[in-house]
Amino acid sequence: MARSRRRLWPALLAIAVAAAVPIGCGGDANDKPRAASPTATQPAHPPIRIGTKNFTEEFVLGELYAQALRAKGFDVKLRSNIGSSEITHQALLNGVLDMYPEYVGTLLSEVADMPNRPASTAASYALAKRFEERHGFTLLAPTPFSDDEALAVTPKFAAEHDVRSLADLKRVPRLTIGAPSEFQARFEGLVGLDEFYGVHKPRFFPLDFDKRYPALNSGKVDVAAVFTTERQLTGHRYVVLADPRGLFAVQHVAPIISKKVLAAQPRLRAAIDAVSAKLTTQAMRRMNGAVDLDRRTPREVATQFLTSQGLL
Amino acid sequence: MTLSVAAAVLLGLALVLLIVAVTSQRDAARTAFASQEALAAGSQLENSMITIENGLRGYVASGQKRLLAPVTTALGSYPSERRNLARLVSHDPGQRRRLAQISAAIQDYVELWVEPVIGVANLNLRRARSQLLTNTGRERLDGIRSGFARLFERERAVIAARQNRAESRSSRAITFGIGGLALVVAIAIGFTLYLRRSIVRPVLTVADATDRLAAGDLDTRVPVERDDELGTLARGFNSMADSLARGRAELERSNSELSRSNAELEQFASVTSHDLQAPLTTISMYTELLERRRAAAGPDSGGDLDLVDGIRAATGQARALIRDLLEYSRAGRGTLELDAVPAARIVEDALERLAGQIEETGAQITVGELPTVLGDRANLCRVFQNLVGNAMKFTREENPRVSVDAEPEDGMWRFAIRDNGIGMKPEHTERIFKPFQRLHGEEDYEGTGIGLAVCERIVSQHGGRIWVSSTPGEGSVFYFTIAGAERADVTLQVPQAPARAGA
Repeated sequence: MARSRRRLWPALLAIAVAAAVPIGCGGDANDKPRAASPTATQPAHPPIRIGTKNFTEEFVLGELYAQALRAKGFDVKLRSNIGSSEITHQALLNGVLDMYPEYVGTLLSEVADMPNRPASTAASYALAKRFEERHGFTLLAPTPFSDDEALAVTPKFAAEHDVRSLADLKRVPRLTIGAPSEFQARFEGLVGLDEFYGVHKPRFFPLDFDKRYPALNSGKVDVAAVFTTERQLTGHRYVVLADPRGLFAVQHVAPIISKKVLAAQPRLRAAIDAVSAKLTTQAMRRMNGAVDLDRRTPREVATQFLTSQGLL
Repeated sequence: MTLSVAAAVLLGLALVLLIVAVTSQRDAARTAFASQEALAAGSQLENSMITIENGLRGYVASGQKRLLAPVTTALGSYPSERRNLARLVSHDPGQRRRLAQISAAIQDYVELWVEPVIGVANLNLRRARSQLLTNTGRERLDGIRSGFARLFERERAVIAARQNRAESRSSRAITFGIGGLALVVAIAIGFTLYLRRSIVRPVLTVADATDRLAAGDLDTRVPVERDDELGTLARGFNSMADSLARGRAELERSNSELSRSNAELEQFASVTSHDLQAPLTTISMYTELLERRRAAAGPDSGGDLDLVDGIRAATGQARALIRDLLEYSRAGRGTLELDAVPAARIVEDALERLAGQIEETGAQITVGELPTVLGDRANLCRVFQNLVGNAMKFTREENPRVSVDAEPEDGMWRFAIRDNGIGMKPEHTERIFKPFQRLHGEEDYEGTGIGLAVCERIVSQHGGRIWVSSTPGEGSVFYFTIAGAERADVTLQVPQAPARAGA
């Protein structure tokens, strides 16, 4: 009896273990909360917060400045695709941004409420700079390129209605204009068109930037707001209407930047100016086209350009 | 002991499994509750964003400052709502990442849309209104809402997955628990069967074999399959059976030897007595002849007659002796013919044969109520004849009184033959049943001393016994027992003559 009992015990033990094992396997390994990573060592200065407006050229400009500054050892936080000048500038005033590239003419007419701007670009620049400095900001050196706002039509439409200039538009019945929505309220928009060229209450289609050329091609709109640095305008596929009364300003870009940030980091101005100086109209058209038409990212395009210019 | 410990272990295990099942259900409920809380907190935060957008649009469209109040409230409350949500999803890295994306989108929405629009509107409502036509705010809000949608979807998936996992785990635990209980029962049954098989059954086998052995089957053996105490028991039983079988064989051998020598002896006695009778008869015949011739010769030769008388008397005595010897010998060898016979008839026969002696002695014979017995009529008649004859013979007075009665005793009938004779001393009560044992000289009471021996033989052959109770000078009571006719089975217990040859 004693012997058979000894034989029985290991068997019972084996049964017990076999019964217990599947439960052990059933338990899930409880994920331990990951230890919070130690906070990165604070740099000497808070990051320079660069914003961009909501179209291709701004995206490219943002990348150009951000990458060049990072290459110089600055800490940069880029917040791209914010919105219109009105919104972006207000964000700057609200202290959310330190800097963004802005078109001098747009700044004067749409932000500073100065539709009757000076005739020369230099005077416009000086006026805009004074405006910014009243709010604690300043303008850095303007870019060589000018990106003028303009209205374009298809060659077919131009031929049909004999349209060569903005002044001709008032003759076109049931005129439709497509543009970013802010165009509707801007002086350099429907307001100025009516005032300068007598184009009274045309039908307006708010269009995102990337929808403008397709809308023109499809005939959804007769006229679309364009920028002269857009590569779509090359090759005579569109007719840019003349602006004899100078409704749309010659638009050089100048970075608006916080004077406090500039003062805190003296090398910053030279670093930004070095980028701005390289931005010719030809260069911008190429880069805008690479993004809009070749479907490359603003980041790649900016990197390539900066590298070719010896800025990276 | 082993069984109860094993059952306790397995029972405990089964209980643990059931507890696991209940616990995982409870944990699932708890995590499900946390997830529900997270969903609620997320909805609250999302609603704050929608409130902001709607209030913003209302204010910009109407220019009414009061419409900004809910916006301001929501702008003040959303950070704590966001922190609350962060706390509720802090255990889930994926959800933390999603919330981080939502938080970034909210920050962008507030800093790069809501606050700038309010700023613009405060200066120029018309310009702010044109901003509302753009998709910027909508897109930012949509980004936030799709982020929430992913967060909610994931949270709901987590609830479902946890529920499923908890259910499957608890159902598995319940399965194992019930399986464990079943195992306990199975082991208990198995152990019982094991006990039956390994202990009870061998014991029963030995008990069974003991019964058979007791019933006389000495060839019974039990198989020895084990090395333990039960094996020892089986071996002990077998050796006991062996020894019994050997004893019986020994007994049978010596029995048959005894029977044989007994038979030889009886044969010898029979032959001897038979052979003796012939020359004695011849002697007796010649003696008579001599007596007759002498008588014819004349009275002068009468002196020789005394001698002849002596020869004749001695010869007659010898013949009586031999006759009785023959009778005794036959009593031991004949075949019994068992029948249901009324004892009264047997006694009647016996008294008829004793009629001469009864008349001679003037004895008073009283016969009581007698049963029907199972026996050989002739032999039993001989018994009564001898006993009643003895009773009349050993008497002191002129008119002996003899009574014959019967009473039941131990399932048989006990017959009593009572006399008022000379009686005997207690030390003689055994001796008298042996052949040729006489208490008195032949000159006092005639007889060969074989009668009671014959009675003893016959009664023994019938499965009964015979004995005497006596007081000297007052009388004797001879008892013997015989089976009643109602007990036909007694015959089975009475071996037939050949087997009893030596008794």
